[in-house]
Amino acid sequence: MRYTFIPELFRQLFSKPFTNLFPLKYAPASIKDTLDKIKKGEIEINPPVEIPDKEIFRGKIQYDREKCIGCGLCIKVCPAKAIELKKEEKKIRIYVGRCIFCGQCVDACPKGALSQGEEFLLADADKLNKEWVIE
Amino acid sequence: MELGMKCFKRALWIYHMNTGSCNGCDIEIIAALTPRYDVERFGIRLVGTPRHADVIALTGPVTSDMVDKVKRVYEQTPDPKVVLVVGSCGISGGVFHESYHLEGPIDKIIPDGTFVYVPGCPPRPEAIIQGVIKAWEILEEVRGNGRTTQKTEGEKD
Repeated sequence: MRYTFIPELFRQLFSKPFTNLFPLKYAPASIKDTLDKIKKGEIEINPPVEIPDKEIFRGKIQYDREKCIGCGLCIKVCPAKAIELKKEEKKIRIYVGRCIFCGQCVDACPKGALSQGEEFLLADADKLNKEWVIE
Repeated sequence: MELGMKCFKRALWIYHMNTGSCNGCDIEIIAALTPRYDVERFGIRLVGTPRHADVIALTGPVTSDMVDKVKRVYEQTPDPKVVLVVGSCGISGGVFHESYHLEGPIDKIIPDGTFVYVPGCPPRPEAIIQGVIKAWEILEEVRGNGRTTQKTEGEKD
């Protein structure tokens, strides 16, 4: 009875740690050098935690320009008013900085032009960069 | 003095301030500190006062009550500093954009700050870690403290 903890101890000694080592195991000496090396492909970053259910995950909105008919239903349902109508072209423009990733526009779209991807690593220093304005 | 500066270069200390947030982003910041993500292995940790911080993490749209507090916290933080805006409502107002008690997004209150924006409502902890790394990159550029230039920097100051 006294040593019942020993099997558990051995199990924990050799089991994989629970921590997800995103993006690197330890802090590098210089982050800029490291980012350059990642771009060149010399270092690989550890992937983030896997998305639990890819079908219902709400990531960045993806817009299929060809399918859009410019009906404006997505603009009506958007609670954050992140979507803007371009009247001359009858297309929309989505601002990711305003979007709250609720997915109501995806449900409302009659033509299936909007969908939500798996991208969620979106941090940036510029508020209106190309990645954040979907046209 | 030089030894002291060496220690401060890599580990970013973060002061977290809630400026009218719904607590969603605050929970995600705490989630990034838990053993699942464990940002303390990078030396990233939350501190209790802006005077110790390199990065201020602001969550939430700025309500009219918080305007002078945000300005005061920003001025108390030593230079160089980066403001990490966590969540969509800090970036543009988000769902609260038309509310009567908002004084606009954070860059309206601090017009000359350096910002890193993390969109999401709330963002996942990995996205917050990525934002901190962006802030780290900016601070490294400002301080010029990559390993390669480290020796000459002490002489300049």
